[in-house]
Amino acid sequence: MLVLQLLFSGVQTGLIYALTAAGFALIFGATRIFHVAHGATFAIAGYAFVAVQPGYGWAAGCLVALLLAVLFGVGMERLVYRPIARHEASFFTVFVAAFGASVVVQSLIEVGFGRSFTSISTPLTRAVAVVPGLYVAPVLGIAAVVAVVMLGLVAGLLARTRVGLGLRALASNPELLRVFGLSSRRLSMLAFAVGSALAVPGAVLTAMTSGLTPSISAHVMLISLAATVVGGIGSLPGAVVAGLLLGVTENLAVAVLDTQWSEAAGFVLLFVFIVFKPRGLFGSALAVGGTR
Amino acid sequence: MIKRRTMLGSAAAALVAAQARAADGPYVVGTLFPLAGPNAEYGTIFTQGVQLALDHLAADKSLSRPIELRAEDSQGTPQGGATGMNKLVNVHAATWVLVGFTGVSKAAAPIGQRAKTIMVNGGGVGPDLSGLSPYYWNVIPLIPAEIATLMPWLAANKMGRIGLVYVDDPLGNSVLKLMGPALEQSGGKLVGSYSIAPSAQQFGAIAAKLRDDKPDAVYFASYGAQQSQIIKQLRDGGVEAPLLTYSAGTIPSVSALPESEGLTFTSQSTDWGSDDPVTRRFVTDWRAKHGGEPSAYNANYYNGTRLFGLLAREVEQGGGTVSGDTLRAAMLKTRAFPLVGGVGKFSEAGDITLPMQVNRIEKSRSVRIG
Repeated sequence: MLVLQLLFSGVQTGLIYALTAAGFALIFGATRIFHVAHGATFAIAGYAFVAVQPGYGWAAGCLVALLLAVLFGVGMERLVYRPIARHEASFFTVFVAAFGASVVVQSLIEVGFGRSFTSISTPLTRAVAVVPGLYVAPVLGIAAVVAVVMLGLVAGLLARTRVGLGLRALASNPELLRVFGLSSRRLSMLAFAVGSALAVPGAVLTAMTSGLTPSISAHVMLISLAATVVGGIGSLPGAVVAGLLLGVTENLAVAVLDTQWSEAAGFVLLFVFIVFKPRGLFGSALAVGGTR
Repeated sequence: MIKRRTMLGSAAAALVAAQARAADGPYVVGTLFPLAGPNAEYGTIFTQGVQLALDHLAADKSLSRPIELRAEDSQGTPQGGATGMNKLVNVHAATWVLVGFTGVSKAAAPIGQRAKTIMVNGGGVGPDLSGLSPYYWNVIPLIPAEIATLMPWLAANKMGRIGLVYVDDPLGNSVLKLMGPALEQSGGKLVGSYSIAPSAQQFGAIAAKLRDDKPDAVYFASYGAQQSQIIKQLRDGGVEAPLLTYSAGTIPSVSALPESEGLTFTSQSTDWGSDDPVTRRFVTDWRAKHGGEPSAYNANYYNGTRLFGLLAREVEQGGGTVSGDTLRAAMLKTRAFPLVGGVGKFSEAGDITLPMQVNRIEKSRSVRIG
């Protein structure tokens, strides 16, 4: 029963990781921009939710979180990455700029919310015994539904719409975009908007479950990067599956290893992929939405 | 070559300037607290205590030279502690440094000892902090005193089967080392012990294992944001047993957490209604400056800073020069000082002795229960 319990805990953690990593994978897959500030987007969404939800309810909390996350993501694209791209778009410059933005966001959150832990307490995260020895919280079902709906919508957008085709073409063949009458600038902004929006459910669920600290963006990026590498660089479904895999591995590892190696087990998985399957689970660097 | 010479010249100039400041300028009091990251809340709490004491020392005009505060970020890590301490003694020429956290203290102590800078700890509780260096003193009772206070309370409340979650660092490992034998002595036992990395944030799996252990209570030894994460996730994970911890549980973010209701923790005695003039002045001015009640940590760092004022005055009045050696000699000569909470008595090793108590969080407030 313990293994089954750990599996359920792992799926809950993994779903949140999957939602967290999906946005980063989408942005990187479409634009090839190493958006380290995606962790800051996550933090902004989480703290916006924590600030608004107690007074104005869940819907308002989620809406404000979504609005601010998208504004920040698009703002980063327009005000930071695009000017850099105009001059010299070296990986290092982009990384430092994004990292700097994350530090600024962290400092602003510390000023606004203090440096301590914050969370939303709700009965939705309270696990109850569904059968003797197996405890499940309602938030597991919510995370599963949200993940399926959000990722299904994004997959649908990418696979079945003209804009989705444009997003997939953006990284691999920008010339093709002109033939189809699409603007790479607008598509890039759209990638940031959708990718940032994808961070919101993960941020809200994290605020409810493990809580937030101003420095959470570093952890978010660690998970996003690991899931992106394990899933296959730029692959949205890969990041989702890898996020789930990381969460389940972390939890199941506790059945056989000392508890302090829990997180490390996830990263051992990462090293295994880097060494034996460097292209990740879904292999292609351009497999956004699961198609080429 | 020019660059190298320039750099060497600048470094030498900085050193000379620091020495000159040490001889004629203000007294430099340093703080080595976590100012960013998951433990930053402690930095704020500790600093508030230091600042109130500095306000009082300035108002009293009891010293011939002003006091300058220099803050370095320890990040709550040994590496950060070593870097910060180096800067405080070599660049700022600090005479007195307030430190916190067991790992930070252990990294900073050899540097402070070489520079003969007094280090005063008001937050770390690892047993290794006793006698760490002749220049390292504790104004907070250490973890053995906290565990010794908890054991009779556990026995009285018939809690013999204890589950332990501890951070894998000097503090957590010392709790593991002390808890098992202490429980056995009082007829109890450790039914499960789970180490966690200092950066760990997910505890759902540990909740599952603890439920399987069926403990009477769960003791956790962690600090900072991680404490709140443990409390929330254990409760969310269906762990219904009472939660226990040590004095690190006094921080506002823990007591404000709804899941912390009923959390039991040990700490030094804190009677804010005391008529003792030092305590009364501290509490009155604290309430005026910050609103609400101070915590034991606020008092500890107030005491740590106040102690500098008392010792420096004693050295000045004796016609001596304020330095690590003269301050230490003054401490060893007097040993007992009027501090917040009453007279603080120091041992030869520089450890303070204070009465202890057991507290419980009820409606987000800490209430003494034993």
